[in-house]
Amino acid sequence: MALYIVEADCISCGDCEPVCPTNSITEGSIVFKIDKKSCTECEGDFDIPQCIKVCPIDNCILPLEA
Amino acid sequence: MSSQDIMLRELALRIGLAAHALPDTDARRLFTVLTDCVSLPITEAKISSINLKMLKTAQQGEFSTIDDALLRKALHILKTNVETGEIPKPEILRLAEGEMPGSVRIACASNDAINVDGHFGSCTQFMIYQVSADETRLIDIRPTNSLDGLDMEDKNRYRAELIQDCQVIYMASVGGPAAAKIVKLGIHPMKLPDVEPITDIIDQLQTVIAGTPPPWLAKVMGIEATNRFRFEREATG
Repeated sequence: MALYIVEADCISCGDCEPVCPTNSITEGSIVFKIDKKSCTECEGDFDIPQCIKVCPIDNCILPLEA
Repeated sequence: MSSQDIMLRELALRIGLAAHALPDTDARRLFTVLTDCVSLPITEAKISSINLKMLKTAQQGEFSTIDDALLRKALHILKTNVETGEIPKPEILRLAEGEMPGSVRIACASNDAINVDGHFGSCTQFMIYQVSADETRLIDIRPTNSLDGLDMEDKNRYRAELIQDCQVIYMASVGGPAAAKIVKLGIHPMKLPDVEPITDIIDQLQTVIAGTPPPWLAKVMGIEATNRFRFEREATG
């Protein structure tokens, strides 16, 4: 269970990085990326994923298909 | 008196008026700074190329302590013809279909046609440029004199639709609901931290296009995903 950032849509604004409760978001070589091993989709911390809440682009952060 | 002399007299008058707008500044002091900015002889074309940063740093920062607003006012006086009140407008060039591949179309919210100094909802015009790595073309100037009686929401939509053929818009400021309208039309809004000359913005953008544009920019420029990281792909076969 994890989220991922759509590379072609991310504008590297960095808004998602500080709101992640598990510090799973880092700036990669091209755009920001989510560590799928530590991402919890905010379960246990918030009702909805905080990165999706602050992301200014629609459908830029999506659930990773299992 | 030749027409050249008349032109210079008018320009000299502007320098005098501009100096008057600055604290403790006479025409001589301003003239010294201007000559450091653009070197002699001072011409109309050279004056129109001066921006705030040049004015602030010239002559070892002679004007560095003067308020930006006052300097901007002086610049405006310098660039505005006393008699006609006209700021010389840059020339609009045609862009035929299919020309300038690998380019992006940008809008700049501007009041003075020189700087990105406009608020999205109140600027007098959008300057439209087509920008590629090695060429820039001013292709249109779109005045925003919208129809009266529009409420705020309709006004913002009208303005966004005015630039909907652009991929990016640069502006000095924009409100949240207006930014949402812009994004909805597939235009990328860029709010600048300071008022910057359009030429500086285009320079920066050209550097980005010539290098490795970020994926979102490559996407709006129509570069196929397969070509975006061709070096990486070639390396891995």
